[in-house]
Amino acid sequence: MSVIIESFDLTRKFGNLTAVEDLNVRVKKGEILGFLGPNGAGKTTSIRMLAGTIAPTKGYAVVAGIRPDKEVEKLHEIIGLLTETPGFYERLTAKENLLYFARFYRINSDLQVDKYLKKMDLWERRNHKVGTFSKGMKQRLALARALVHEPEVLFLDEPTAGLDPKSAREVRQLILKLREEGRTIFLSTHNLEEAELLCDRIAVFRTKLVVLDTPYNLRNSLFQRQVIVELEAVDDNIVNRVKGLDFVLNVGKDGRQLIIELKDFDDNRPALIKCIVESNGRIQSVFEKKHSLEEIYLTLIKEGGGMEHEGR
Amino acid sequence: MREDKAQRRKRIINIIGKEWKSTFGNLNSALFITLLPLIITAQAVILIYLVMKFAGAEVLVKTLLGKGMESWLTTFPALGELPLIERFQVFFFAQFPFYLLLIPVMVAVSFATFSIVEEKQEGTLEPLLATPVRTWELLSGKALAGAIPSLLITWFCAGLFLAGIIGMGSGHLLKYILNAQWFISLFLLVPLFSLLAFILGVIASSRANDPKTAQNIAILVVLPILAIIGGQLIGFTVFTLARLFFLSIIAGVLNLFVLRAAVRLFQRESIVVRWR
Ligand SMILES: Nc1ncnc2c1ncn2[C@@H]1O[C@H](COP(=O)(O)OP(=O)(O)OP(=O)(O)O)[C@@H](O)[C@H]1O
Ligand SMILES: [Mg+2]
Repeated sequence: MSVIIESFDLTRKFGNLTAVEDLNVRVKKGEILGFLGPNGAGKTTSIRMLAGTIAPTKGYAVVAGIRPDKEVEKLHEIIGLLTETPGFYERLTAKENLLYFARFYRINSDLQVDKYLKKMDLWERRNHKVGTFSKGMKQRLALARALVHEPEVLFLDEPTAGLDPKSAREVRQLILKLREEGRTIFLSTHNLEEAELLCDRIAVFRTKLVVLDTPYNLRNSLFQRQVIVELEAVDDNIVNRVKGLDFVLNVGKDGRQLIIELKDFDDNRPALIKCIVESNGRIQSVFEKKHSLEEIYLTLIKEGGGMEHEGR
Repeated sequence: MREDKAQRRKRIINIIGKEWKSTFGNLNSALFITLLPLIITAQAVILIYLVMKFAGAEVLVKTLLGKGMESWLTTFPALGELPLIERFQVFFFAQFPFYLLLIPVMVAVSFATFSIVEEKQEGTLEPLLATPVRTWELLSGKALAGAIPSLLITWFCAGLFLAGIIGMGSGHLLKYILNAQWFISLFLLVPLFSLLAFILGVIASSRANDPKTAQNIAILVVLPILAIIGGQLIGFTVFTLARLFFLSIIAGVLNLFVLRAAVRLFQRESIVVRWR
């Protein structure tokens, strides 16, 4: 698949403070890339540089073949930007607001505005002042604004921040629908579940790119998979027999549980269980210990910048 | 490219339309823009009428105003043919175009500050800057949105003032009032001062976070206007044709100067990064 967003040593300083350092990232056409990082990591700053609203101190980007720092107006014809705190003219209605923004593009604004008011489920309230809208409605209206000109590339800066679980879910479903339509989405978040749920790939970011990979690979590459075997009773005989197996890397004991790290997890598990049974171990249950993305994330953030690699 | 030109015009008209909808849709700002000029005009007419009626020429001559009147007479000797009381009338009437400058200045300042501070408070600037709109289109759109109604209303008030003069029974003095100075003030100084006020309003708004603070800064333009009026009334100076032109040139140069500052301030980058 072709690359549609690419950055080369993108760097931004504010005085002495480096907000983004040497960001090299590639986003493929049609994927959702999650930009995951704690507060102050430089997510918003990165998005602003990619969307051309601020200039990099060093480096550059290419978005859909356009340099944001060179041809910003041309870029804005084809990208959509959902800003971190999207505001509206509160004294104007939803429709008036949307029409105002839509008229800056070369589109049939009346048609497009109606389309997105309906699509974002705001049609009934189109003639109400935005000042009377709930946060969730405003966010949907903001999405409508980012989409009204049918951009192929979308930058969404924390699209579900501050929404209740129900509204957040609605917004996530909308985002997934947008991917189905073939749009490329660059999404920043500090919500791990959201990143895992929505994104094809996740870039963990804190001033620098820490790691970029699929959620699945992030799990596997960082932690050996572990199996937890719960026994009626644990004795040294069983522990020693298990330790003797050549594919077992590590054995830990926690009450009646054995925590075992092994090579080739799926292939060797049956042999492990057979060994325990043959050592007269009475197995109550066997399950895999899954590391949450949160652990992965916290590990990465702690290491910070220590393991720069880019997976597929 | 013709298509681009049409696009540009469409975007500027869009901005003007929205500005007007917000401004005139708000009772406060609509009243401010229409009522204030009328009050200023009515005040001038009534004031002149009262002074003429109750003070009388003999009293006025002995005051500072008498001195102002005298220097005025040296510049406009034609007034010598009029009786003393009417000389004073013409003298007062002639101050009105300067007084009138207050209207576009106040209207422009409130337009600029309300509209930009509102965008700052609501957080609409960044989404706006993510559209293909050019920042100079945004700036010109807002300037035009403020300038058109403010010039129209100012000229309307000038007409009203002339009607007031006729109403006072001084219609025969119009020929002394409607001179080159009058027209230069109305059609050169008024636009220049309102532009100046607008730009200062924009600059002040980029720093301030509420319209009041912004207005307090931008309203400084009023001071030179008051100085002009005061200076003439006490005979300190007379704004002859040459001096008026000189004043216009100064205002023009000042405009260019602040416009450059405003344009620099009104870049995407500055708005996103520095306007807090
Ligand atoms: N306009 C600015 N002027 C000065 N410093 C800034 C500016 N914008 C951002 N920064 C600094 O750059 C760093 C990155 O900020 P940024 O807003 O990009 O982070 P973020 O990842 O979006 O954080 P959050 O999750 O809180 O939105 C921060 O230290 C911030 O203080
Ligand atoms: Mg942010």
